[in-house]
Amino acid sequence: MSDTTVDRPLAEPPPVSRRQRLVDALDERLGLKSLQYPIPAHANTLAYSLGGLSLISFVLMVATGIFLTQYYNPDPAAAHESVRHIITGVTLGGFVRGFHWWGSMAMIVLVGLHLLRVFASASFKRPREGNWVIGVALAALTAGLFFTGSVLKWDQESLEALEHNIEIGKLLGKFGFWFSDTFGGIPLLTRLYVVHIAVLPALFTLAVAVHLLLVKRHGMAPSPFGDRAKDSGPEPTRPFTRHLAELGVLGLVLVGVLTLLAVLLPPVHGPTPIEGIEVTKPPWPLLWVYPVEDWIGVVGILWATLAIFAALLAVPLVDRSPELHPRRRLPVVIGAGVVVALIIGLTIYAAVRPVASHISM
Amino acid sequence: MTGTSRGPRLLSAIAVAWLAVAALATPAAAHEGEESVPALTQVQVAVAILRTQPEQVDLAADRINDATEAEDKDGVDIDRVEQAKTALEAGDMAKTELLLEQALGACPGQPVTNPAGVRAKLPQTACPAPPAHELALGRVPLHGAAKPTLLAIGAVLTLGGLVLTRRIR
Repeated sequence: MSDTTVDRPLAEPPPVSRRQRLVDALDERLGLKSLQYPIPAHANTLAYSLGGLSLISFVLMVATGIFLTQYYNPDPAAAHESVRHIITGVTLGGFVRGFHWWGSMAMIVLVGLHLLRVFASASFKRPREGNWVIGVALAALTAGLFFTGSVLKWDQESLEALEHNIEIGKLLGKFGFWFSDTFGGIPLLTRLYVVHIAVLPALFTLAVAVHLLLVKRHGMAPSPFGDRAKDSGPEPTRPFTRHLAELGVLGLVLVGVLTLLAVLLPPVHGPTPIEGIEVTKPPWPLLWVYPVEDWIGVVGILWATLAIFAALLAVPLVDRSPELHPRRRLPVVIGAGVVVALIIGLTIYAAVRPVASHISM
Repeated sequence: MTGTSRGPRLLSAIAVAWLAVAALATPAAAHEGEESVPALTQVQVAVAILRTQPEQVDLAADRINDATEAEDKDGVDIDRVEQAKTALEAGDMAKTELLLEQALGACPGQPVTNPAGVRAKLPQTACPAPPAHELALGRVPLHGAAKPTLLAIGAVLTLGGLVLTRRIR
């Protein structure tokens, strides 16, 4: 019997395609196949792709931002004119600026929805509390990128935003020195430009790297939703590369939608700013603090913002039960719902109420 | 307690909270001590309001009134402000804006509504460049082949991406 086995001719190895050889060569050098680790099937849903889409929108912001920095002049005397030049005098400048503007809106929405999804599915619970804190820091950095970007266009709304920024800096006393318009002998607009194009993106990239490493370390959080949550059996898995492919496809949709918006609804550019007047409202993501400022003054912006981020940071401390489903965490979920409703309500109220002067008048 | 009975209570609580917020929603005293604000600033604000938020006629009217009552009227032609007040009361926004600009000694605005009929009746102010606050662009549409090309690219990426998403799943 052993003889017959020995005498049987060896089977030909299956032919390896050129593409496979290329993948193997790259894998040998770059370790690409290590990305094929299994993740639960629920990760391949839109809700669990919001974080990845936020990162894609950040990358799009960097790409379009690099284009805009070639033409933008951060000197207060020339900033408005340089934005006008980008819109009217640079080939596709208006389109790229529109893409950047709509992309920033998309990033704000995606980061907000990602935060809500993580909260709703209790993905911040042990051992992922540290990653929740990093996620909150990323949300703060996103808000910082949005605010500084809205100032750089240097129209009336931008100047009023900067004047509020300076007032808040004064409220911070010694700690607000950086927001003084005279610090360092460089205009605040120019320094905010550096923050927008270098400091915040660098911090964001660093925080994202840690965020992703911790996701890999702890694994994808379990989902409390769907039939799988009720079953006792193990959830089917998919390779992480499949998740990356789906993210790439969703990224194409994002680019497509942003392209359409940038062409069909290009953002406006307001008038050259006049100092000492207050006739505009902030853009919608910042609008919710406008009524708060009405009621308690500029200090309201500071306290409301700090309160929101303090509440976000406190979430893992307040909601410590092992329960994941929102129905079994009702008090915390209702509390968060009230806060979200309050922010939406304040935004709507601020949108319909007349403009008011809060500073210098 | 069931989820069904909790819902209406929760909604009621939110409604009450909102009524409380609305009751507090009185704007801060933005107009306290208006007399101390120079007429120049008040007129600038009125122009900016008319230009950026033409629906806020009452706010603009307040600023024009405040300008006429300001202690510091330096650099402002108050007669023109009074004329602007009359024009605003008559509902002529373009004339109001023009008169306010002239009250500041500025060059009459370029993109005002129906400028021909208004300017013909008013003396022109010599001015080499338009006032800075007029340099607003609004929405600037794309021209030429770029617009249909980019629209096609956007549509292909959106639809293609959606189709691929379904296929990948």
